[in-house]
Amino acid sequence: MSRGWRLAGIAALIAVLVIALTPYVWLFMTSIKSRLDALADAPVWLFTPTLEHYPKVFLDKAYLPLVFNSLVVAGTVTVLSLVVGVPGAYVFARHRFAGKEDLFFFFLTTRMAPPISVVVPMFLLFGYVGLVDSRTSVILAHSTFNLSLVVWMMRGFFEDIPREIDEAAQMDGHTKAGMFVRVLLPMAAPGIAATAVLCFILSWNEFLYALILVAFESRTLTVGIPGLVTPHGTLWGQVAAVAIVATLPIIIFTFLVQRHLVRGLTFGAVKG
Amino acid sequence: MTLKRRIDRLLDKGVGPLFLAPSVLLLVVLLLGPFVYMVALSFTDLSYALPGHDGNFLGFDNYRRLVREDPVFWESFRTTLTFVFGVVSAEFLLGFALALLLFHQIQRRRFVLTLLLIPMMLAPVAVGLMWKLMLQGEFGMLTHYLRAVGLLGPQTSLLGDHRLVLWTVMAVDVWEWTPFVTLVILAGLLSLPREPFEAAIMDGARPWQVFCDMTVPLLRPILALVVLLRGIDAFKEFDKVFILTGGGPGNTTELLSIYTWRINFRNWDLGYGATCAFMVYLVVLILCAVFYKAIYWRSGETER
Amino acid sequence: MTSEHCVTITRLARASAAATIFVGLMAASGPAGAWSLEEAAAPYKGTTIRTIGEALPPLEAMDKLKHKFEERTGITVVIEMYEHSEAVNKVMLDLNSKRGRYDFILQPHRELGRFVANGHLAPIERFMDDPKLRNPDFKPEDVLYQGLWKEISWYEGKPYGYPFTALTMYLWYRNDLLQDPKEQAGFKAKYGYDMQAPATWEQYRDLAEWFTRPDEGFYGTAIQGKRHEALWYEWLNFLYSFGGDMMEVSSGSECGPIIVNSPAAVASLDYYKSLTAYSPSDTLNYFWDDVMVAMQQGKVFELIMWNDATYAVEDPSQSTVSGKMGFDLVPQGEGGKVGQVEGWTYLIPAYATNPEAAFLFIQWMMEFDQQLEQHMNGGASARPDVYAAPEVGKITYSKASMDTNAVAIAKPTIPESPEITEILVLELSNALAGKKSSQEALDDAAVAMNKLLGDCAPLKFPVE
Repeated sequence: MSRGWRLAGIAALIAVLVIALTPYVWLFMTSIKSRLDALADAPVWLFTPTLEHYPKVFLDKAYLPLVFNSLVVAGTVTVLSLVVGVPGAYVFARHRFAGKEDLFFFFLTTRMAPPISVVVPMFLLFGYVGLVDSRTSVILAHSTFNLSLVVWMMRGFFEDIPREIDEAAQMDGHTKAGMFVRVLLPMAAPGIAATAVLCFILSWNEFLYALILVAFESRTLTVGIPGLVTPHGTLWGQVAAVAIVATLPIIIFTFLVQRHLVRGLTFGAVKG
Repeated sequence: MTLKRRIDRLLDKGVGPLFLAPSVLLLVVLLLGPFVYMVALSFTDLSYALPGHDGNFLGFDNYRRLVREDPVFWESFRTTLTFVFGVVSAEFLLGFALALLLFHQIQRRRFVLTLLLIPMMLAPVAVGLMWKLMLQGEFGMLTHYLRAVGLLGPQTSLLGDHRLVLWTVMAVDVWEWTPFVTLVILAGLLSLPREPFEAAIMDGARPWQVFCDMTVPLLRPILALVVLLRGIDAFKEFDKVFILTGGGPGNTTELLSIYTWRINFRNWDLGYGATCAFMVYLVVLILCAVFYKAIYWRSGETER
Repeated sequence: MTSEHCVTITRLARASAAATIFVGLMAASGPAGAWSLEEAAAPYKGTTIRTIGEALPPLEAMDKLKHKFEERTGITVVIEMYEHSEAVNKVMLDLNSKRGRYDFILQPHRELGRFVANGHLAPIERFMDDPKLRNPDFKPEDVLYQGLWKEISWYEGKPYGYPFTALTMYLWYRNDLLQDPKEQAGFKAKYGYDMQAPATWEQYRDLAEWFTRPDEGFYGTAIQGKRHEALWYEWLNFLYSFGGDMMEVSSGSECGPIIVNSPAAVASLDYYKSLTAYSPSDTLNYFWDDVMVAMQQGKVFELIMWNDATYAVEDPSQSTVSGKMGFDLVPQGEGGKVGQVEGWTYLIPAYATNPEAAFLFIQWMMEFDQQLEQHMNGGASARPDVYAAPEVGKITYSKASMDTNAVAIAKPTIPESPEITEILVLELSNALAGKKSSQEALDDAAVAMNKLLGDCAPLKFPVE
């Protein structure tokens, strides 16, 4: 391909990168700007940075526990979904039984369920069994979509492992359960790790379930952000600081799992 | 020994059901339960606001109301369709172009690709706030530059003008989700066999012909998949628009999910709210079924 | 329109304020063996009471005060602060699931009807009549503005709590600009009369037009045009002042003919809409905190705002215009001098786990000292004696606040009232956005209200 085309391509790519990243860079800059700079009439690109918003919102306004809540919720959801979902995925990958694909489709529909439709009946039902307001309620709600993600994603990873491995393991005298734990799980470890990170991200980012189901002291970060819209005016510096803390770990995770993102986000339908 | 063997064999048989049961059970309890409850609610008059509306059976009254007496619902439905159709086509075209660009131009794709993925990995709430900040009418960065180059009048703002706001919200969605389309299509491109393409070029086929006659047909299953996935997600869109506009001004950006939110959490009309919620669910289920068929279509093609 | 269907709130008996001023002060010093807070609270020592409200200065002030109560009683007070709509939503969810998470709640009074009708509240009399709980020196029937109390915390002739804040809206303007000779001369040359604080809506619009200078980033006014309760609250000032109302009733707990699409109402909306031309470009996304920032940043000349927010515009640590402001009643139209009553009220849910301890706290908060402290930090007390205190007299906006309270008009508090608000917010927003004409929008609102309320609320101005 000609040099000119190549240069044009690179220019286009740079333009795309600028468009994709500028808003985030701007958010970050807002988080370290003084209120005066943030609300200036013309955009301020050069300024004396200040770190005042971070301690103000996380310590004075006590948003630090929200980070902890988000961690606990996303962490528990991830572990729960994996523990419950990975064995299920194995069955889908290796066993034959009537109605298997229909069941698999049911898993898909749970992943796709619109939260706005589910959250009201879920709130009411959780209310009857006394689960509302605890972290448990959000954890359970989030496991609905993450569990099916695990099953869909891990089925593919298990199918990637040749069946001969199973046969060899059984020749060695492993029971099926033993083989699953000692042979297949270690082989699927990279897939499990990628799935775990995706589960974590999806739960960490979730808003609507958490908004309705959670109590004041177990609010997650995403739910806490709108609380910074105060009668003294939206505190953009603090909003940006919280948003940065809520997103930075996710960006790091994205770099960690980028290889497996395609599979995760298409429910295993496309292998990246 | 033999006893252990026998137990092992028995356990082996049980592995399937035993492994699968917990996930099925959890989902049935957590999703089928609420689903059935939602459908049941949609036949009642349950309201938290009005006295005496304690969940009395109404028959199909709520559905009648939905179809005959609720123009706002259908307006939201139209808005949602515009939104879904608009964002999915824009994301598809842009994402495809970007995938081709990445496929052909860049050696060190991975890093660039990961940078491009950032928008879609951020919490939608954060995306909404970020763009709200950029689009503020008085001190918004983007507003300022759009005015400076004359694309925006001094007295209009992208989120305040009822003719612009839906497009603005859609543009934000395109910004957020185009990388997803790129990612999936790029994966598809990379999985295509190389030889037929090289052979075609050797035979003197022009790049455009190769694209139309070979790339697109081979990618079709993946293209269908990405459109459906985006379609389903766009149909469910809530967080971002909720933060950006709350459905306003007027009901210009009131998507079905936001309308359903309003019926449930502003009017507390839970019976009718369940009816609306069920309609949203129904559309998603139909799209899901199509998605599922599309996957089978794909595996059918690749096995051939 | 006549005012017979409007409940005029308390003729603020300023004279009686002086008489009652000491009641609160005396509270602590009763004769030996009499009621004391410590004794009354003894059975509840070690318990925790929980409440919820909007993250507003008065609630922040309460948060700073509560330790005094905790030290005296050994009762822990936990306060949850949320954004306005969230504070309402969380309470709805809690009350309807009957969990009793909150021992008392702070809610806007338009919610009263649906709480009472659904049996969610414990009438406050239950505690007031209990000699073990009731501080004999606290006599709400003497120390509170009676009209305000009845409007904000009573429903169908029964008290359910005490006012947490007595809110109203009035005019804010930049007095420094009004006094600027250059502006005065220019204004007179253009409009042919002397520039002054706006007393009529014509003057209000002239001033808005005069000061609108987009290229300097300065605007005549800013309206709260976002689809949010704030929009409805703001428009009510215009509606009342133009001589309109939503329904023709004599009290908030009544249902009556719908007049929301009267010619006066349509005129008020037309006028209100015309102000968008003199507002910042984003005005249709503004609600109270955005207009607050605009004013604090010195970008706006005049607007209609809340009394409990005034504190923040006069606070030099967050406002560039403190000391430059003027405050007054909203301009007058056909309806004469008007204002609106809004209030957050203390209520005790029927399912509360520690209602007695909650009552003790509420009663303690209503004492003069706490009320004064709260009022000085952005509250809006319902006690006349607080307004009579010398430090309150020095507050620049006290007069505007009291004058408005004196002419304030009540709103519906029937169970359907939050939904009426919701209907109007949508239609007002449609009108502002230019999707519907004022007439169409209000006609649609009237029809929707009629559908919601049924036979008790016929359309006075039929829609074809």
